[in-house]
Amino acid sequence: MTVLNRLDWYNIARDTNWTPTYVSDKDLFPEELTCAFGLPAEAFEEYDEPYKTTYPEYVKVQREKDAGAYSVKAALERSKMYENASPGWLSVLKLHFGAIARGEYSASSAECRMVRFGRAPGMRNMATFGMMDEIRHSQIQLFFPHQYVSKDRQFDWAFKSYDTNEWAMIAARHFFDDMMVTRGAVGVGMMLTFAFETGFTNMQFLGLAADAAEAGDWSFSSLISSIQTDESRHAQIGGPLVQILVKNGKKAEAQKMVDISIWRAWKLFSILTGPVMDYYTPLEHRKQSFKEFMQEWIVGQFERSLLELGLDKPWFWDDFLREIDEQHHGMHLGVWFWRPTVWWDPAAGVSPAERQWLEEKYPGWNDTWGHCWDVITENALEGNMAKTLPETLPVVCNMCQLPINYTPGPKWTMRDFPLTHAGRDYHFCSEGCRWVFEQEPSRYKDHQSLVDRFLDGQIQPPDLGGALKFMGLSPGEMGDDALKFAWVEEVRADRIKKAS
Amino acid sequence: MSDVEILKPLKTWSHLAARRRKPSEYEIVSVNLQYNDRPGSAAPYELDPNVFMNRWYVEHRNNSPLKHKDWNSFRDPDELIYRTYCLMQDGQETYVYSLFDQFSAREHDKALTPQWAGTLARLYTPSRYLLHTVQMASAYLAQMAPASTIENCASFQAMDSFRWLSHVAYRTKELEGSFADKGFGKDERHYWEQDAAWQGFRELMEKTLVAYDWAECFVALNLVAKPAIEEGMLRLLGNVGRRNGDLVMSLLADAELIDATRHRRWVAALVKLALETDGNADVIRGWIAKWTPLADAAIDAYASAISESQSAADAAKQATATFRASLGL
Ligand SMILES: [Fe+2]
Ligand SMILES: [Fe+2]
Repeated sequence: MTVLNRLDWYNIARDTNWTPTYVSDKDLFPEELTCAFGLPAEAFEEYDEPYKTTYPEYVKVQREKDAGAYSVKAALERSKMYENASPGWLSVLKLHFGAIARGEYSASSAECRMVRFGRAPGMRNMATFGMMDEIRHSQIQLFFPHQYVSKDRQFDWAFKSYDTNEWAMIAARHFFDDMMVTRGAVGVGMMLTFAFETGFTNMQFLGLAADAAEAGDWSFSSLISSIQTDESRHAQIGGPLVQILVKNGKKAEAQKMVDISIWRAWKLFSILTGPVMDYYTPLEHRKQSFKEFMQEWIVGQFERSLLELGLDKPWFWDDFLREIDEQHHGMHLGVWFWRPTVWWDPAAGVSPAERQWLEEKYPGWNDTWGHCWDVITENALEGNMAKTLPETLPVVCNMCQLPINYTPGPKWTMRDFPLTHAGRDYHFCSEGCRWVFEQEPSRYKDHQSLVDRFLDGQIQPPDLGGALKFMGLSPGEMGDDALKFAWVEEVRADRIKKAS
Repeated sequence: MSDVEILKPLKTWSHLAARRRKPSEYEIVSVNLQYNDRPGSAAPYELDPNVFMNRWYVEHRNNSPLKHKDWNSFRDPDELIYRTYCLMQDGQETYVYSLFDQFSAREHDKALTPQWAGTLARLYTPSRYLLHTVQMASAYLAQMAPASTIENCASFQAMDSFRWLSHVAYRTKELEGSFADKGFGKDERHYWEQDAAWQGFRELMEKTLVAYDWAECFVALNLVAKPAIEEGMLRLLGNVGRRNGDLVMSLLADAELIDATRHRRWVAALVKLALETDGNADVIRGWIAKWTPLADAAIDAYASAISESQSAADAAKQATATFRASLGL
């Protein structure tokens, strides 16, 4: 006799559903925590996770992965990556860790929801690994930036951000809380693992890993690509659920959850990943444009997996395809303009060479966003810095909580998407965000956006200074132009050269 | 001129910087990780304050009868983090699977009596259901815990429960190969749902799974149910197994009880922290009084099936009581 092959006993370990009799099935699996749409446990017993891992394999493989990522970090500790990195790249790190690290921890709690309230044993076991994975992601993504806290106070926000009312963090929490921790088990599987992790984490973790490698930040590159190997495993929790829902007459419900998650993820990534890839990453290190990454990972691959599992393209697909050309440029402009209200230093990314790249990747950029940057550039050239800074708060969307913005220029597309619900007026940035609200107003209706809190008198004094205090930002933390306007001097030199 | 202070870089996270001591890796990556308890927020989660899950957390976590002004001050005495957990358990698993390997090479199972094999089929391999309920309940405790340092301990405990269940699955398949007629891999659910030996544990755990207050879940699971399962089933199986020439059973139980002992260390530390607040001792004692009869009955039912003498059950019950008595209640 020899040691058993894992597939010999794998099925026994996931044969653990039983019929409760000392408590009712309804009490053991309340609908709000389970989100089974009234389907019985038997409907979920067909659940078959495509990626099979056992406990001993998990701890062995993960031990090796950690050994790899931590040893790369240790080996590079004296490599002067930090000292040699471009300011734009450090901003990438600050934004990434602040927006992600503790969100990962919340994802662990969401995985716990599936371990407890999932109706299929295979799902509960896979989610047990998912729960562990997300603890890993939060811990390792706190450990790495912690090495920089003594160099730059903004790195404190790798931890601090989630405790604040900084506007981008309100937006991040609103999104993650909606997709992860306030959903029943099936909802988590559909919205977090299937819609979000299958599609969008690739963008952040593989796309950015490519840029990091180009930028010479091997430590960060190996870290986030290691994380993505976990994501691509536990992201597969959702796929079998899609099939079960479709098969049992719940396609519309499944489609709606996926659509909500994709739309909302898109909005967040337009501000989280878009500016990073197309503006902060030094030009010579950009692997692909944000739009190209989006087309490869979301439009191409994800669209295919939706159709394969029996779902349709989301109803907003045309809006979405249009937005991946435009939306993140506006988000970037907003973040840069309101730079004192963020915990990183946004890189403008509009030197002459960069503008050329932008025009190449996004034909028409000069005629739209370019005009806004022309005005900013002129003010900066004349030393009129006050005009490059905000005096008020941006108007934000009541769903994504992000600044409402549209493509400027000849084809000015300014549109408001208002809604009055139960006597309260709401403003949305898009049809998609308004549609999400309408699907389940009770999830969102009494939430206060930053602007609502301002009008409510929670921000005192009611000006930018009061707002910064409200957001937890002090001098030393507040953002500034990453290059301290050195790019303006490039413009000046360029003009002098052309004039002579 | 305003004298606005410009914040300087600190040596660690600002929330840990006030202390004089340099924080450990454990503290840097484990403390205060939850944000659904941030002061001044309208609700745990950034949505309508009245959405179901916000109400659930307010009711079952914030408003629990067990109170403490700073649950985030809890520290795992083992200071486990993800990295060290995998390192440690990979080593433990290497040991367990080498046991399986060696004993299978020696044809250990062939030497077991058919009668003992029958006992294993009825009283050991159905335990995968029981261990799975512990996995589920631990994951509930994790998602409701009021501090990340508590949540981590509960999450690792869920993972350990899955570890034990995986060992059972492995042994089920092996034993099926040696004893095709004992119902291994077939009759476990029937025993779990119908056999008198299991009904006490099933009742205990089904009810523990719906103890939705986080602290009652903690007391029911970690002060009562888990000790009962560990003393009344696991240790007993190991002891009786050894007497029946089943060294695999006995060494496996020993290996798993290493995890159980670690769980009791964090549990003791959490009780100690809770006892800093007046009134908590009574709350905990009240829950212990409520849950212990179910656990004792579960031990009685199970132990009487595996061992003729009542002393085995008594010893197990005593061991759970001794553990609770050690907690300073
Ligand atoms: Fe993750
Ligand atoms: Fe994930």
